[in-house]
Order: sequence, then C-alpha cells, then structure tokens
Amino acid sequence: MLVLFLVFRLLPVVGALLLSLTDYRLSGTWDFIAFDNYTRLLSDGMFHQALLVTLIYTVIFVPLTVLLSLGTAVLLHQVVWSRGFFRGVFFLPYVTSIVLAAVIWKWIYDAQDGLLNGVLGLVSIGPVDFLGQSGSVLPSIAVTSAWKGFGYSMLILLAGLQAVPKSYLEAAMIDGAGTWQRFRYITLPQLRPVLFFVLVIETIGAFQVFDAMYVMTGGGPVRSSYSLVYFLYDSGFKYFDFGYASAIGLVLFLIVLIVSLIQRRLVGRDD
Amino acid sequence: MKFAVRTTVCRVAAPLTALVLAAALSSCGGGDSGDSSNAKKSVTLWMYPVIADQAASDAYWKKVETDFEAANSGIDLKLEMQPWANREEKVSAAFAGKKGPDVLLMIPDQIPQYVANGSLEPVGDVVEPDKDKFLPAAIPGLSVDGKVYGAPIYHTVTTTMYNKTILTKAGITKPPETWDEIKAAAPKIKAAGFSTLDYSASPEATLNLNFYPLLWQAGGNVFADDGKSVAFNQAPGLEALTFLKTLWDQGAIPKSALSNGNVIADQPLGKGQVAMAFAAAPADAGTVAKTWGAANVEIGTPLTDKKQVGFGLPGGLVLNAASENSDAAKKFLSFMIQPAQLEGLSKASGFFTPRSDVKVVATDPNAAKFADALQYAVPGEPNPAARQIMSFLSAEIQAVLTGKKQPQQALDDAAKQANDLLSRQR
Repeated sequence: MLVLFLVFRLLPVVGALLLSLTDYRLSGTWDFIAFDNYTRLLSDGMFHQALLVTLIYTVIFVPLTVLLSLGTAVLLHQVVWSRGFFRGVFFLPYVTSIVLAAVIWKWIYDAQDGLLNGVLGLVSIGPVDFLGQSGSVLPSIAVTSAWKGFGYSMLILLAGLQAVPKSYLEAAMIDGAGTWQRFRYITLPQLRPVLFFVLVIETIGAFQVFDAMYVMTGGGPVRSSYSLVYFLYDSGFKYFDFGYASAIGLVLFLIVLIVSLIQRRLVGRDD
Repeated sequence: MKFAVRTTVCRVAAPLTALVLAAALSSCGGGDSGDSSNAKKSVTLWMYPVIADQAASDAYWKKVETDFEAANSGIDLKLEMQPWANREEKVSAAFAGKKGPDVLLMIPDQIPQYVANGSLEPVGDVVEPDKDKFLPAAIPGLSVDGKVYGAPIYHTVTTTMYNKTILTKAGITKPPETWDEIKAAAPKIKAAGFSTLDYSASPEATLNLNFYPLLWQAGGNVFADDGKSVAFNQAPGLEALTFLKTLWDQGAIPKSALSNGNVIADQPLGKGQVAMAFAAAPADAGTVAKTWGAANVEIGTPLTDKKQVGFGLPGGLVLNAASENSDAAKKFLSFMIQPAQLEGLSKASGFFTPRSDVKVVATDPNAAKFADALQYAVPGEPNPAARQIMSFLSAEIQAVLTGKKQPQQALDDAAKQANDLLSRQR
C-alpha cells in the first residue's frame, strides 16, 4: 500500500515540484530557473483573475451543495417506504458524465431557446443570458455542478443522520424541544464530523472546477468563469509552459491545504 | 482481525501482481527487435477524420497503406486514427513523453509552437521536386522562417453561406456581400425575427474563423511583419471590432454567441435562426442542408470590406523530430503528396487538393463556389504565440460585446498582453 501511495501519489507531486522549478519544453530540454515561475505567477494578472473566480465560485458552490445535500438527506431520512428508490434517483446525476451534464444545462440556460428562459417567459421575465453575464455565470455553473454532485454528499450525510442516537432525540422531544431545536442542538453537533468531511471534499472539488466551465462558457464572458485549473490547463496543454503549469498546480495545492486546515479548525473535531 | 487483514491483502495482492506482470510483459513484447538489418522499418501515422464518412475513410487509408507498402517493401506503415477532440492535449503529451508518431497531420496554426520546441523536422527536401505544382498558400502556410515543416495533403476554404429562406422572409433579394450591405440588411432581418450574422465568441473558438477574417478584410494583420509585435490594435482592427460591436448592439448577432464555439449543428445558424455565416466550410453546407433544406443553402464569395479575404489553409503531414525512422517517414510523405493520393483524398473528404495540377470533378453542387473562394484564402498568421494571443484577444472582444470596454481600449489591452508575451519568447 505504501508503495502504491508513493508511486501514484507522492512521486507525481515531487515531479510537479521539480518541474515547477524549470522551463521544461516540449522537446524535453529544460533549464533550472529556481522560483522564476512562482514570482511570475504572483505578478500575473491572469492568475489573480483566475484565483478570484475560483474563490467566488467556491463561496457559491460549497454552501449550495452542502445545503442541498443536507436538505435531501434530512428528507430521505424521514422517508420510510421507497427510500432506496429516491436515494437512487438523487444519486443518478452523480454517476453521469460532467460533460454531458454541462451540455444539457447549457441548453437549459440558452439565452434564446433555453428551457429556463421558456419558463421565465411564461411569467413575462427575461430572456436572461445566464451564461453571458458576469454576474450570473458563476451561480449558473455552480447550480449545474451542485445538481451533478450533491448525491454523493447526500449519501454520506444520510449515513451520518442514521447514526444519530434516537435516544437523544427522544429525550429532547420529551423535554419539549421543537423540530428545529432538536436539529440545531442535537442532530447538527452529532453530524459535525461528517459535515466536516463533506465540507472538505466539496471545497476541494470546488477549487478543482474546470470541466463545466470548459464546456459551458470556455472561461467567459471576459474570463468571469476562468478558474485556476482552467488557467493551469491552458498553460500546460495550449501554451506548452509545463513548468509554469506545475507552479500553478502547486500553488493551488497549497491554497486548498490552507483552506482545509481552516475548516478543520472551525468545523472539525475538538479533540 | 489479523486473519481478516491478511485475507484482504491476499485478495488485493494477487490481481495487482498479475496486473503489474501483464503490463511488464506487454511492454517487452511486439515489433521487431530492430537489431537485424533485414527487419522492416515501421512508420506510425496519426491521422484525423478528414474523411467524415467512416466507410470511405477506412477504404481510402487501407488503399494508401496497401499501395505504399507494395511500393516500399521494407517499410511497415501503421495508421492510427485519432479523434479531433482533445488532439492538442494528446499530441503535446505524446511529444513530451517521446511517444509520438513518426508522422501526423497538422495545420499551420499548430506548427510554429512545435517548431519552437524543437519537435518537428523540416521536410523541404520532400516537397522540393514538386513545389511549383502546389497552390500559392499551400507550402508557405506550412513553413516557419523559410523552412518547410509540412507536406500539404489538402486545402480548406471558407466563404459566406446564406439561408435563402430567411433572406426571402426579410425581403432581401441580393445576399449581402460587403460590410455595408450587411449593416443595411440587419434591421430588415431583425424585423423578420432572425439574426443576421453568425459569430462564435467563445474563448475556445479559433479567431481564424471569426475575428481574424474581419481584420484581414479591413486591411489589417494580426502581427507586424517581423512577428515580434502585434498589429491588430491599429485602425483596421478598430474598424473590424467596431463593425462587430455595431451588429451586436443592433441584435444582428445571436446573444448566445458569447458561449458558441465553431460548431454549426445545435447552434443558432444550424437551427435556421441566423441569415448568414461568413466563414463556412464545405462540411458546414452539408450540415445546414439537413435543417434548412438543400435548396435554401446559398454559397457566396468571401466578404469584402477594403479587401476580399477568407480563411483557408493547407493541412499537412509533419515529421516528428524524435522519429527513429525519419528516412522511411519521408518516403511516406513523398508518396502522399503524389497526384493519385491527393486526388483520392479530395474525392473522399470533400476538401480541396493543394496541388494545382490535380483537378477533381466534384459531385457537390456547391463545390465550384467553394473552389472559387480558394483564390481569396489566407492561411492565417502562424506564430509560436498565436494561440495564447488568441485567448487574450477573445477575452477583450467579449469585453467589447458585453459593453465593459470600448473597442480601442480592448484592442490596446490585448496588444499590451500580447507584446509582453512576444518579448518573453525564447
């Protein structure tokens, strides 16, 4: 297991770190340039833009997905019959391809023929260019990604809900606690470890957003949906600047690590 | 507990060991040892679906393989068909990992980057004997700094394409052929409930099929003559972007253009919601004929402003500098650029032949009109930084269309980024 971890996890990270210290070319030649890629990154306006986009997207996507997952998990927890059926239905988007989901949602959001604008038109609203306006493009993509991915977190939270001791809830009921009070003071604290896990994985997923943006908007309009991973992808595969792309990857890794540590401090276990 | 762990380890270890062994054995096997001087030399060709019809493609390339190997008994040609999608990633990964093919198809846009990275070998000696028999843009389009890197095997062309139904409904009897005529027709077409001009403003769409033809029609260029700075922010560029912005503000360009790529089907043009396109290829005419009706497709000449220009480029076979069989690969290139092979490819693909001494009788009624447009075809302005500069300009064009910037400011901002990049070019 250690060998597998070293080969498939640690070695690529070390490789990326070494690559980020060079100006590796497609022909295989390279020069050691120390931290030039990192200093260039810090002064690159495109990096700042991509980082801002990624942060804003994360702030929208994570609460949306967690709330959606928690909400459906709570509802599912109360369903007695056909729970398996509903669980399967909610989990179905998770197993579809993100590219397929993005294509479908792009049609839904279409400014001229989209389903959403068709519905809004019935109440004399719009048409709204969901993917063509800076203010709406990130929420629109976040909705797509949340729809596609909430099923996984929902299952984890459902398992967490089922592990909450019924005796605590019954005792609280006897003491006169209402539904919200029981949820707020018993269920949520009991769910804390699971919630922490969900928060971390959804945050990591948010920072890695790329596919939906690539398919739906190409990073536009005017780079308002141009994420860090999209910037990394362009640097490596479009412009063949592999060292720079590696530097972006490592900076992204550090950012995600810091955010995860902050989350652990705020939401993780107390012990 | 220990027993359960041991059992789990055994369950995982056995198949994992088998997998590793299988991988090791497969990497040892296959092919000749290369030690014997009598061993066949292998040439691997990566080809893309230039022939859209699968059966026709298989038949053509099978014949190429058979005929080439019959004429070159010491060479084994291996053809590997690749999809168009994600070709850049696959090619760059293959070259970076020294696993690329010996020969592959590239267009002028791609070649400078790979040349700058030392990944391609010149093939001037291959085309030299026949160089006077190619179309004017064919060989220069595949050259960098005077050296030829691609052997031309087809030539594309784009031109205007009109939806006659929409023009009729708008009361327009003569399809617009100039910028002024488009501006005059736009209000009538809008009144009829349609958009006038198809445009792909997605950052993933190549500017060679949207903004650059307009820039060239205005008499401008992307790059200065020495290629060390850009020129698109001069007067012609401003004129082209202002033209675009004017049409956008009039509602003459579909609003979904901001996320539209260079794909016809399932987008406003393909759905019969737009009156015309100005960079349509022969394959696009076939696509829209299915939704518009063949009788409603009209092919025109490239648009005119100060110049009449369209985009059209040669596709060429390039030689991997890391190839271990470059002599054999060059023999294949020489074989492919002969009239018999190019005529067959042109007939099967619908693309034009890059040789002026090869005439193909086309069955497509629109073929003659596309052929007329060849004389106006510009193969683009290759530069190692071309793709990155396209991304700068795409974003700024979107800024203009969405009202965030004025055209000159946007062009100057893009030019500053582009010139900074060019000054850092190794």
